[in-house]
Amino acid sequence: MINFILIILASLFFTGIIIRTKSITSGRKGPGIFQPLKDIIRLLKKGAVYSKTTSFIFQIAPSIYFASVITAIMVIPLGNYKGLISFEGDFVFFAYILGIGKFFNIISALDTGSSFEGMGASREALFSMFAEPAFFILMGSLALLTGHSSFQQIFSSLHFGSSISYILGIMATFVLTIITMVENSRMPFDDPKTHLELTMVHEVMILDNSGFDLGLILYTSSLKFAMYGSLIANLFMGDFPLYLTIPIFFGMQILFAMAIGLLESFTARFRMNHNAQYILALSSVSLLIFLGVLLILGQFN
Amino acid sequence: MTGIYLAGALSLAAFVFLNRSRIVNYVLVIAFLVLQVGFTVHIYTHFNQTELHYFTADGLGILLLVTLTIISIPAVYHSYVYLGSKQDNPKHTAIYFGSVIILLMALSAAYLSNHIAVTWIFVELTTLSASALIYHRRNNRSLEGTWKYVFVCAISITLVFIGILFLSFSLPQAGTEDLSFRHLINKGHALNIFWLRLAFIFIFTGFTAKFGLVPMYTAGIDAKDKAPSPAGALLSSVLMNVGFVGIFRFYTVAANTPIHAWANHVMLIAAILSIFVATVYMSRVKNIKRMFAYSSIEHAGIIILGLVAGGVGYYAAVLHIILHSFVKSSLFFQQGQIYRIYKSKSIYDVGHYFKYNQAGAIVMLLAFFFSSAMPPSGLFISEFMIFRALFEADYLWLLVVVMILLTIIIWAFGKNVFKLLFTPAVEFKEDAIEKINPAESLSQYIFLGLVVYLGLNPPQQFVSLIQDAIQNLAH
Amino acid sequence: MTNVLLLMFTISLLYLGIAHRLLTYIKILAVQGILLFGIAFIELIQINAVNLALILLETIVFKTIAIPLFLQYVMKRNRITRDAEPFLPNFISLIIITLIIITTFILSNTIADSRISKIFFVVALSTLFTGLYIIVTRHKIITHVMGYLIIENGVFILSLAVGNEMPVLVNLGILLDIFASVFLLGIFVNRIGDELKDVDVDQLKSLKD
Repeated sequence: MINFILIILASLFFTGIIIRTKSITSGRKGPGIFQPLKDIIRLLKKGAVYSKTTSFIFQIAPSIYFASVITAIMVIPLGNYKGLISFEGDFVFFAYILGIGKFFNIISALDTGSSFEGMGASREALFSMFAEPAFFILMGSLALLTGHSSFQQIFSSLHFGSSISYILGIMATFVLTIITMVENSRMPFDDPKTHLELTMVHEVMILDNSGFDLGLILYTSSLKFAMYGSLIANLFMGDFPLYLTIPIFFGMQILFAMAIGLLESFTARFRMNHNAQYILALSSVSLLIFLGVLLILGQFN
Repeated sequence: MTGIYLAGALSLAAFVFLNRSRIVNYVLVIAFLVLQVGFTVHIYTHFNQTELHYFTADGLGILLLVTLTIISIPAVYHSYVYLGSKQDNPKHTAIYFGSVIILLMALSAAYLSNHIAVTWIFVELTTLSASALIYHRRNNRSLEGTWKYVFVCAISITLVFIGILFLSFSLPQAGTEDLSFRHLINKGHALNIFWLRLAFIFIFTGFTAKFGLVPMYTAGIDAKDKAPSPAGALLSSVLMNVGFVGIFRFYTVAANTPIHAWANHVMLIAAILSIFVATVYMSRVKNIKRMFAYSSIEHAGIIILGLVAGGVGYYAAVLHIILHSFVKSSLFFQQGQIYRIYKSKSIYDVGHYFKYNQAGAIVMLLAFFFSSAMPPSGLFISEFMIFRALFEADYLWLLVVVMILLTIIIWAFGKNVFKLLFTPAVEFKEDAIEKINPAESLSQYIFLGLVVYLGLNPPQQFVSLIQDAIQNLAH
Repeated sequence: MTNVLLLMFTISLLYLGIAHRLLTYIKILAVQGILLFGIAFIELIQINAVNLALILLETIVFKTIAIPLFLQYVMKRNRITRDAEPFLPNFISLIIITLIIITTFILSNTIADSRISKIFFVVALSTLFTGLYIIVTRHKIITHVMGYLIIENGVFILSLAVGNEMPVLVNLGILLDIFASVFLLGIFVNRIGDELKDVDVDQLKSLKD
């Protein structure tokens, strides 16, 4: 229960910190940290307008998206404490519940009948397809390393002993960060600020949503950030007692948010048709993590 | 003496590189030739002695060294004649002769070395000097040939090095660290078979670039085509021999280990493919020098077949390579004269050679007969022995295939040579032909005479040297 | 620590697969030189000091400084364009290089020898095959030279695996490196830019039968 509350709390200020960091690095003062939250609350109070060419899918998709992410958050542990849902092999459940949300997002974009949104949907599908093996290979290697297959057991028994496991930890952090950027359509894969056909992936899918739905979708993306941040925090938390884990957790979230802000400020967006190979490179790097794990275990097939 | 030889050769080469005067050039090169002859005599009289820890004068080394010295004298002479007929740029001449000296020195050292790493170093050195020779004419096409040669040889040398690394992996099981050939032969039965197999494949493939076998033969073809004819003679005779030395010495190591039969199969595949490739290309090629180059590949394939067949094939292989060096170098020396007369290397532009250079034409005819292994050529003896060995080793079908391929090669070679000699040339202006002194063909007559002599009535020392070379193989 | 460096070396190979510009190739070669310096230092600490100093000097001076600078000079002088011009798109290159790494890993498991460290063997062999792949799938002549340098790095790693027992082999590897650098780069790519006006492999077609 406690990690659920912590993640929700973290999501409240996560996007704000990112925007604030980006503003400060550009020399501006920027909006307040809770400004995105206030935008979302404003949106939630408005009514939604539904296009006549859409079907019921368009109306239920944002809710399903939101629900899927909430369910996924319930799986994530915090140090020694299990998530609300925890069983053997739950990281597969985690990945695919997120997949359901993404699927509904995609088909609701296709539902509007606009070719613009269809383009965004196809790009989103392609990038997620390439990022998925990276995530699975990473979690698979961690599962192989610790010998367990549920999130909580994996993270609680992850020890960093030899130097090679440190470098594996760093590589895993790198992979998870890039997965975050891909999933949330941030730079360098997509520019959330420009709404041009050349650069849009996620923004274009939600062009037709309004009011309450839009508010839900925006809040869900903050939730996803906080979710991935908590995954990374979990890599380093291990077995610490509660009074240590909470500050570490918030500290890592803030650091993660600032890191994303810096990453976004200083990298240019990749060429759109090169995006696919960079994401696939991610899978290759996680493959190297897998081979490294095999090395540590000293067992080869 | 080896140390004196190496140091002397290096300093002579340095002086040749630096000097720009013709007379000094003559003097220095003749000094080197004297040094080379002296070194050969010294090695010949110090049979089976080791100098500088890495150089042993064994049978194979002495034979190839004597061949080298005999070929190098006319090579230098023909180089002077050839370069003298072109524009005489002193810097280019200096580089040419300096590279010839370094090439001959590196080859002599490589023949005599008894340690696989030392052989490797000197073979690297030959690549360097040979490419300076190929690039002599400094135009687009020779640059291309030099680049291809350097690149393929660089890759091949790396392959040989990887093979040496794998060989060192196979040593710990035998409890030793010495990579000299004698030591490897003695410990042959104790080497790790897996690594030895890998080592054999890599070393064999690497040396095929020098020797002229599938898969790396392409380097040599372009090289022999683009180099000036006397340099081409060196490249296709004595440089091929160093490839043979590398393969042969490692093969003797492999012959004393359990991988002997497997190594035979590998070499057999390479040999058959080489003869096949030579057949295909010789029927199509229109450039005389490339035709000679492909003929070298065919002979290389036959030599390896001799090694594979075993029995009397071992003797025949060593005999064949020595005789082949003489025949091929005479062909290339003669090609130099053909080029000076017709100013073209293509078979379309030549013809009626008897009219312009009688002595040379007879050389061409005889060299063709000898190269195709017709009696009284010594090559007939060696090829006959190889065929007999193949027959005795139960490779009957292989023998039939090889004979058919060789027949096609003789036809292709003969077709071109007879066009050169007897058919009138198309569109050839007879006004400004260079007059070739018949004495220039003298060296080739001597070589062809040697081929007959060594084949039909070899001196006893020659036979015993060959038998010493193959003593570790005879089973 | 060696394992970490070798892992980073493998990541550099993957980066080679997706690099577009020639300058990136040169930077990767420099980084590989530094990594090899580190690996040589750690692995060969037991051999005699003069030899070790020579090897380390060569790695840093040649692989990291001299060769990248020389390649840049050649590129500038021949006005070679920035793009690496592969035959296959970079996406497929990346997949193929990943497959190469997996295949060498599986291949190395068939080796029963316990004396040779497996990770050296895997990294060396994948570097070798990657270098070969780069030579085969790129248009420009200068990328052929870079592919050859990558092959040499692989051979160097392989020689480090036995470096402790036989330092003479590491020395021979360095000799190979020096030979290749002086020779391939110093003489030919310079002239090739001058004489063959286009530094493209398609231009090397006039020597055919």
